[in-house]
Amino acid sequence: MCDIIWCKKDVDGKPCNTVNYLDPYCFWNWKGTVNCANCGTVYAIHMIQGHMYSGPDEQPAGTKPDTMPLYADKPLEGYINFPMGTEGRTRPFECLPRHIYLGVPDMVKFSIRGRPVRGWRPQPKSAGIAGQFPYNWDMKNLSPDVWAEYQEKLAKGEVKDW
Amino acid sequence: MKEWRKQYSNLIEAPLEEQHGPKSREELDEMKMPYEDYCRAIFAPGHEMGKPEALKGIRWMSTTMYIFTPHSVANLAELGAEVYKFEMPRMGDPMKHTSPFNEAYLYPLHDTRPVTGTGFGFLNANPNEYYVSMDYHLPEMKEAFYRIIKMSDGLTECYRPGTFDRWKQSYRYVQELNPRFIYVWGGGFGYGPKCFGGSYDILGQAHAGLASVTGHHEFMGGHCTKHSNWCIDWYSGTQITFGILAALHWRRKTGLGTMIEFSQVQAATRCLGHTAPMYGRFGIVRQRWGNWDTQLCVHGIILCGKSDFPDAINPQDRLEARYTMVSAFQDADFKALCDVIKKPDMYSKYMKHKDRVEGEAQVDIYAQLEDWAKDKSRSEVVRILQGEGLLCEPVMNDREVYENEHYRVRGTVRWMDDPLFGDVLQHGTYSAGLLSKTPRRLYWIWRPVGADNVKFYHELLGYPISKVQEWYDKAWI
Repeated sequence: MCDIIWCKKDVDGKPCNTVNYLDPYCFWNWKGTVNCANCGTVYAIHMIQGHMYSGPDEQPAGTKPDTMPLYADKPLEGYINFPMGTEGRTRPFECLPRHIYLGVPDMVKFSIRGRPVRGWRPQPKSAGIAGQFPYNWDMKNLSPDVWAEYQEKLAKGEVKDW
Repeated sequence: MKEWRKQYSNLIEAPLEEQHGPKSREELDEMKMPYEDYCRAIFAPGHEMGKPEALKGIRWMSTTMYIFTPHSVANLAELGAEVYKFEMPRMGDPMKHTSPFNEAYLYPLHDTRPVTGTGFGFLNANPNEYYVSMDYHLPEMKEAFYRIIKMSDGLTECYRPGTFDRWKQSYRYVQELNPRFIYVWGGGFGYGPKCFGGSYDILGQAHAGLASVTGHHEFMGGHCTKHSNWCIDWYSGTQITFGILAALHWRRKTGLGTMIEFSQVQAATRCLGHTAPMYGRFGIVRQRWGNWDTQLCVHGIILCGKSDFPDAINPQDRLEARYTMVSAFQDADFKALCDVIKKPDMYSKYMKHKDRVEGEAQVDIYAQLEDWAKDKSRSEVVRILQGEGLLCEPVMNDREVYENEHYRVRGTVRWMDDPLFGDVLQHGTYSAGLLSKTPRRLYWIWRPVGADNVKFYHELLGYPISKVQEWYDKAWI
């Protein structure tokens, strides 16, 4: 986490006391508004390189937040928490930085000696239970285009031992 | 007959044909094979899978991340232990997304994230393990977590101090469930005043004093340097494995488990050699000495004038293939070296090792060596010096290591067909020492997040498939 917003907003006569976690994936360089996961109060923040440059400044009620915190909890109340992806409170975790920070990986289908590798996306789903993956990558059925390309390579003698 | 030989009297008096071993000198010669062939036969690279596994029967839990603690378990998994790697649901070990340059190269990672893959930085730290996803801090998952603790020999974790205790799964909880349990906490600083500091490899190198004596001295334009590729992560992980093996041996004798606490910043201190005792005796704070050696001279790496691959596209080949190590610290070798580079004066000036190992002498000697090598390529220097019987080898890059016949023959670098990810060039498992009877081996490099959930929750722990599916849908696993 690069920073937190500890919400002290008065809710029903008691401070809200919710810690909203601002994750670097989203907030590293960020200017905008974000809500408190518990009471919904909206704060304006400006973060530069992971530091709170200005804010958090409370916004008038009814302001729509640009985004939500990733996770929040209430450490003074036995760590009641709002896990990632709680609807209307926290953001789902995609594990991806915002697009501007994303490099484009080199996607390849064959290793330097010409044999197939699983180095491209998207991949077919596992077709198993609970994320289970079958032990062998059945290339012929799951990736028929790569299989066909591999057969061509074999025929051309482009597949080597080293 | 001498007294001590009496115990062997039955052997000594027995006729030759009844004794073990060769029956004649000819037979003995026939049974002997050259040492090279003998080694090839007993180590047999490529035939590891047919041999037994030393740690078969050990079941280990890995609630670890990055390299340091995972590597402690990887050593066990390569030697045959049954290891379950626990990862956060749908996310996995952060190391999967870290390196190199945050790029993911091998897909898939998880069904819910079809465009995310795993970077090669994850390689070698978690091979042969079963991949289970579990948010084990949830109260709802405690039962499953405790159930596997009762069925396992040990666990390695890497969380901040007290985290597992807060989650009621630290050593003092688990030893009540399983008194034979071996619990490893691989912390950054370990307990002490800096207890709450986390750690990374670079932090360990810096805090332990290793980085301060690594790299060139400032007068050579150098700075303190970290070793590349997190070598203290790999090193500390291996040290933990030693602890685990010792704890397993202790448990065979006593039936009791152990808690192992391992501080990464402390581990790097061990490889500093004479640094601390020298300070203790003389008050000398050790300095950096780059690619040279404070104990021996000549014994260092020199820069040659020409690259071996001047036309290569890759700058690592084109510009960097210019370094070679030279060793000629004994008087006769040093004389031969001075003769080769046609500097007989240098030999007469630094005839004794005591003279040439001095700092100023080394600056002079290496400068003269590099002056001689400035119009030569790396391979020319190697050829000339090796021709004189001196120890000299090029500083090789990855490609040259890959193409090196020595490593191919020994099976150190080899291709493997991973069951899920296809063709992978492997250099980790088989470079970590050879065992003739129970060698290390690599079954798979890694598996997607939760790939073995059904094997683990259903087949091992006995939960119904419907329950497993329910947990999966709730992202608890």
